[in-house]
Amino acid sequence: MRLVVRGLMTGAMLTALTLSISLHAQDFKLGSKTVQVHGFASQGYAYTNDNNFLTMNTSHGSPAFTEGALNLSMQVTSKFRVGGQGYTRKIGSLDDFRPVLDWAYGDYKFAKWFGVRAGKVKTAMGLYNDTQDMEFLHTWALLPQSIYPVDLRTTFIAHTGGDVYGRIQLKKAGKLDYTVYGGIRSFDNREGYYYFSLANGFNIESISGHTEGWDLKWTTPVKGLMLGSSWTNLTVHRAGQWVTGPFVGAHYTIDTFPNRVWAGYGDYNRGKWEFTSEYRSTLDELAIGSSLFGSSAFMYNQSTEAWYATAAYRITPKLQAGYYHSNIHIDNPSNPSDTASNHITDEVVTGRYDVNSHWEVKAEGHFMDGYGDIYSAQGFYSAWNPQGLKPKTNMLVLKATFNF
Amino acid sequence: MKHLRFILAVTAAVLCVSWQAQAAGVKVIANSSVSADSISAGDLKNVFLEDSDSLAGSHVEPVLTKGGPAHEAFLKEYLGKSDAALQAFYRSLVFTGKASMPKMLASDAEVVAYVAKTKGAIGYVSPDTSTAGVKTLQVK
Repeated sequence: MRLVVRGLMTGAMLTALTLSISLHAQDFKLGSKTVQVHGFASQGYAYTNDNNFLTMNTSHGSPAFTEGALNLSMQVTSKFRVGGQGYTRKIGSLDDFRPVLDWAYGDYKFAKWFGVRAGKVKTAMGLYNDTQDMEFLHTWALLPQSIYPVDLRTTFIAHTGGDVYGRIQLKKAGKLDYTVYGGIRSFDNREGYYYFSLANGFNIESISGHTEGWDLKWTTPVKGLMLGSSWTNLTVHRAGQWVTGPFVGAHYTIDTFPNRVWAGYGDYNRGKWEFTSEYRSTLDELAIGSSLFGSSAFMYNQSTEAWYATAAYRITPKLQAGYYHSNIHIDNPSNPSDTASNHITDEVVTGRYDVNSHWEVKAEGHFMDGYGDIYSAQGFYSAWNPQGLKPKTNMLVLKATFNF
Repeated sequence: MKHLRFILAVTAAVLCVSWQAQAAGVKVIANSSVSADSISAGDLKNVFLEDSDSLAGSHVEPVLTKGGPAHEAFLKEYLGKSDAALQAFYRSLVFTGKASMPKMLASDAEVVAYVAKTKGAIGYVSPDTSTAGVKTLQVK
């Protein structure tokens, strides 16, 4: 009951804050330049019939599902803009309203076909990686978790480094948007990497990594059709020690050897319909070093394939309905005899209602089969399911979001 | 046969008038600093989807209305997006830092007033709106 009250109060405070901000001008002058201010606040509620999901106590209904962000940006010259966004959330035990820097960078566009960004930049990967935490931009309350896991947001959403980007006009063949990037990855000690590690008896004392990759988006000559592809190399170096179990006190290191992601995706709009689909193949080989294994590293394969397909229909200008199927398959589960651990499928139905240009509400049903491998972050954690995991999970998600 | 030709001619005339009425459901206006007198439909789309900020050597910025017949006609005729899709498009740029939200005003009169005083502004209004102080761009 206290959690419910606390969640509702938090949501009310965030709502009041954003309402008060919206009553004032959404931009202000800095010298002769205009600084724009935008933000959002989102409050959700999740209920599952069995397993607890995403570190929330969803089997009893959880309002610990709050997010918000505030950004400022300025077009300094016709070619140069700067901006930054702060973000905060509490989703179960994923973060605890600690504000983080979501992105902050300078962007110089030399020409339409060539620009550079430097700073902390959202990573262009797949259809929705750079907007995955902007729920109000999407039909769904939860994006397909097979590809956009809420519990690994910090790790994949941005890099501190730089992008080279541009648009190439292909005349009758449409246009091509490209991004090539590289930088340092961020990690959050209240996210999936840490939680599944602790669930398996070892902590993380240090973690670092970098990423480099590219993204191509082809706006085809077929009206409403966009096709794209991304490739990313992700490296992670972790070190720590076992804290429970038979190896307590023994140190370890884990290095990706390699971790590469390839994605292919598409988006088709026709009239009131929108269809999207994305496939992602992750090659994830880990080299685990420890005195327990002698001088040779123990190699562990965590490769996966994931995909989703969505359909959404705008019934009226304010009301949209949608469905998606999402699937992730774990190539080498740690317990092959447990068939629920080698996959998670999710059938989802959604209704979205735009109250006005600032407010929207959603109601969404998830019907999940499987819970994924214990040595990965896929939403189901043993620490939040001490009674063991059931193979199927049905979940109701309600969300209300204000943006300005 | 004569009657058939007459019916076909009348039908063609009606269709032609209705198409012209649809295409003329909105008038594109610009600040006097914009040197061009016309704009292609493709360039107009690029400006309003923030793909381009120049026209015939002049810096331009888009100005929109928040709903209304002219807004709906403009979206349908030139952008091919619903209002919800357009707002989501702008917000995806704003919330990833790639662009600013374009100016959105409540009425045609406000759009005319803003375009008249703002260097490089391009907007759209209903065909019967008074456009004193701004220039009208022919859309090719």
